[in-house]
Amino acid sequence: MASESPPNDRLKSVWQNQPSERIRMSVDEIRRRAEKFQKKIYWRNAREYVAALIAVVFGGFEVWLLPDALMRVGIGLMIAGMLYLIWHLHRRGSARSLPADLGLASSLEFYKRELERQRDLLRSVWLWYLGPLIPGPVVLMVANARTNPDHLRRIGLSLASALFALLYVLVWMRNQRGARRLQSRINELNALEGQR
Amino acid sequence: MPAQPPTQDELYQEAADAYDAALERLARAYEADAEVRRDLLQDIHMALWRSFEGFDGRCSLRTWVYRVAHNTAASHVIRQRRNKSQTLVGLEELESVPDHREGALTADRRHALERLMELVQSLKPLDRQIILSYLDGLDAASIGEITGISPENVATKIHRIKNILARRFREGGCYGE
Repeated sequence: MASESPPNDRLKSVWQNQPSERIRMSVDEIRRRAEKFQKKIYWRNAREYVAALIAVVFGGFEVWLLPDALMRVGIGLMIAGMLYLIWHLHRRGSARSLPADLGLASSLEFYKRELERQRDLLRSVWLWYLGPLIPGPVVLMVANARTNPDHLRRIGLSLASALFALLYVLVWMRNQRGARRLQSRINELNALEGQR
Repeated sequence: MPAQPPTQDELYQEAADAYDAALERLARAYEADAEVRRDLLQDIHMALWRSFEGFDGRCSLRTWVYRVAHNTAASHVIRQRRNKSQTLVGLEELESVPDHREGALTADRRHALERLMELVQSLKPLDRQIILSYLDGLDAASIGEITGISPENVATKIHRIKNILARRFREGGCYGE
């Protein structure tokens, strides 16, 4: 490399000789921490499974007690939607630990892959988050409207449905905006990759 | 009898001995908060130790260490950005934005380091990696191997870095400790 101008040499020296905090771990300590981390993941998963099981048992009991069949279907769909969401989050959570090929992937490759993973999650928010949670409340509202012919009650239900739909659209728009932002960063990296 | 390949623990030990200080500088450049930085550095060491399970000598130990460290730190930046709304800039933007503050004197080490750290922490991950590697004394070819960017592109970016540094820092007399 060509010789540096004096200020840059000095800056490099300033950088390389900055005071150190000397944080160092022994191999044994690292091994202990890695095991602790694995245990933490294991217990987190166990907690999620137990919570899901409790929700199914109690939800199932509620469904059993309901007199109206459509209401039972609605609650059943809500439980199924939530279970799907928990399963999806669990799958995502497992992938959250760093991949094993950290040393094989160049920074450009790794960074792009991470951004693409996030973008795809945001883009598919209908599939894994919003979509599964729609059928339950919709069926419940229909069941409610059917069992309560009262005019005022129906207006209230219509308003609740409109608010429900608005909320979903807002969440979807926010996620799409995030996905677009990530895509523009991915495009920058693609351009850099194209120049290789 | 052929020599036994080094074990995961031995490789980690060798890397930690050689690059301990560089990893600490790297963590500092990626995280300003001392407490969080400590966690990040520990994460980097753990990722490094884990990674050596799959080290096959296809690249040098240095390239491997820097890749693992930068990739772990980049993940940290991505995670943090979801929580904090922090705007990071690229070298190109930084080069075109005038700095109204007077250039820091390189002779005042502490002040120069603070300004340098501030500048590094404002950069997007990939540009941050390039400036860090440059400040650590790595050449364009090595930086290209770590980042996956062509040496020509790295050279262009280094040229920008030099311009930015020249504008923001000026040479002083002797170092005052």
